[in-house]
Amino acid sequence: MTTKTMMKAALLAMTTALGASAALADGMVAVVGGKADDPFFAKVKKGIDDATLVVEAHGGTVNYLMLQNYDNIGGDAANLVRTAIAQGAAVIAVPNWVPDSQDEAIKAAQAAGIPVILYNSGGGEKAKELGAINYIGNEEYTAGLAAGAYFGRHGRKNVICVNTVPGAQNLEDRCRGVSDGIVPEGGVSNQLPLPASSFGDPTAVAEAIKATLLEDATIDGVITISAGDANSAATGIEQGGLTGRIALASFDMDGAGLDRIKAGTQLFAVDQQPWLQGFLAVSMADAYVRYGLAIASAPVLTGPGIVDSANIDATLAGAAAGYR
Amino acid sequence: MFIPSKTLSLGGLLRRPESGTFLGLAVVFAFFTWFGGSNFASPTGAASWLNVAASLGIIAIPIGLLMIAGELDISIGSMVPAGSMTCAIVSGHFGLPIAVGVGAALALGALVGLINGILVVRTAVPSLIVTLGTLFAVAGLLLGLAVLITGTTSVSLKAGPEAKFLLGQFIGGIYQVTIFWWIAAALFWGFVLHLSPWGNWILAMGGDRVSARNAGIPTDRLTIILFMCSSMSAAFVGLSQAILYNSAQVSAGQSYIFNAIIAVVVGGVLLTGGYGSVVGIVLGTITFAVVTQGIYYTGFDANWSSLIIGILLLGAVLLNNTFRKMALSYSPKTGAGS
Repeated sequence: MTTKTMMKAALLAMTTALGASAALADGMVAVVGGKADDPFFAKVKKGIDDATLVVEAHGGTVNYLMLQNYDNIGGDAANLVRTAIAQGAAVIAVPNWVPDSQDEAIKAAQAAGIPVILYNSGGGEKAKELGAINYIGNEEYTAGLAAGAYFGRHGRKNVICVNTVPGAQNLEDRCRGVSDGIVPEGGVSNQLPLPASSFGDPTAVAEAIKATLLEDATIDGVITISAGDANSAATGIEQGGLTGRIALASFDMDGAGLDRIKAGTQLFAVDQQPWLQGFLAVSMADAYVRYGLAIASAPVLTGPGIVDSANIDATLAGAAAGYR
Repeated sequence: MFIPSKTLSLGGLLRRPESGTFLGLAVVFAFFTWFGGSNFASPTGAASWLNVAASLGIIAIPIGLLMIAGELDISIGSMVPAGSMTCAIVSGHFGLPIAVGVGAALALGALVGLINGILVVRTAVPSLIVTLGTLFAVAGLLLGLAVLITGTTSVSLKAGPEAKFLLGQFIGGIYQVTIFWWIAAALFWGFVLHLSPWGNWILAMGGDRVSARNAGIPTDRLTIILFMCSSMSAAFVGLSQAILYNSAQVSAGQSYIFNAIIAVVVGGVLLTGGYGSVVGIVLGTITFAVVTQGIYYTGFDANWSSLIIGILLLGAVLLNNTFRKMALSYSPKTGAGS
């Protein structure tokens, strides 16, 4: 008993001594985001890191709260919002992947007097409904429509939309958009949901896609919800010997994908400019809470943009620097 | 083994195996208080790791008991989402009362645990392999049935006020009510392991199963009951997560396998079985939760967080092992009286 009491006393003493020095300064911008080793969120993080320079010049700090994995994306993000509240954040930037799970946490933050800005997922409507500062990102459904229409215009009639993080609202909307966008062009699209545990496992994704393509010979297009999955899909298509027949596309892109577009083995990529999302989310959040500045147009759309053989060269330059 | 002494001395307390775990926790807590400041050490900061520890703890204690008894159960990775999806589909998609959903989820847990237990005692297959098979079987069943019934892999669930109060509320806006369920589970399992005859049976089984059976302990029945308890606990955590977050995901449990084993090992349970305590498991769970959540309160770049988590966990386990060796090899000085 005595040991425990002594230790408790020592801890209390240390805590009161440190009470004045919080490790995180005033005006802390808390950003909830995906894993740092996720190629898409690595670009978002680069945008956040660049905006951090501005925030630190103003005397504030930025704290990036990242998910460990995408197994329970809604619940984990809600927990991180609550952690940000506990840290006394001045403003929180969070993607609203699973509104059912996260809306309560966002409202709790606002009730605690912390404004919230949505980025990457959620949409303009959701931001207005929650009273968030703004929404920066893609309108996922619109992006899907653009992708589906592009497939249709290029003569593809049966497209599968591979979703490796099922349950995330923004990704479900993408596939729904593809499905609706291709119909006016006379095509059809179905979703292929893979369990979130295969996210980041390229072999599992490649094999699943290859098996689906071999099993149904009428499929002539594949679109994936992430650039990494597009790499796996390219491998799967090649292993199945279907390279000429299947048109590949992806939401978001990376170096390998851009090389494929240049070489002609990938048809296009839908770009939502992740660097801009990270950069604008942090700088807008900081400007709002520090100086009361806000962009009048809502939502602030960073996409969708189509990258195909027509504009590939300009994109390659940005990709080399890690911005695209 | 706990040998009661006439007086409570500092030395006696330090020589209890759990003190290694407690010191590991104290060091880790001090580390994050130093770097995390007053935010981490405040009640709201405590909520971050208490919430994580609660869900993990409810699963870790039966897993720890199974490990003490010499078995492993990794099917909990699929039982957590199975529990939450069953509850969400029954009560959210089909609209049946929440009690039916909760009952169905727990019944599924009991069934899978029963299957695990029977397979382990009847066949010579190691429990790791049996539960690995169940892990995949339940995962596949879950994905297939979810897409068949609902067309998607995540289902939303709007629970009524009573269910929300018992299983899904945030007390004071920050503490999950799961914390109280965890405390209740810890007290229950602490009683079972340390104060009831079944606890002795579990420790004996882990030490030497054949001798235990020869001594008259019903090892088969006990193994099956333990597997049922671990599966039901996992299903319970799953359904409480579904009620708490208003939605269920098909794949939301893989991390529990590894995290539960880490929490249990940090808590002093031997991987080979026969040794451990509920207090140790609880402290190990808290240590793990503090390490993984405390990182957010420090100013460290998120890129280094995994490195820091790994180093701290390793340090905690090494400290634990050192203290256990000291505790087990202590011999009182002759002539000092005891």
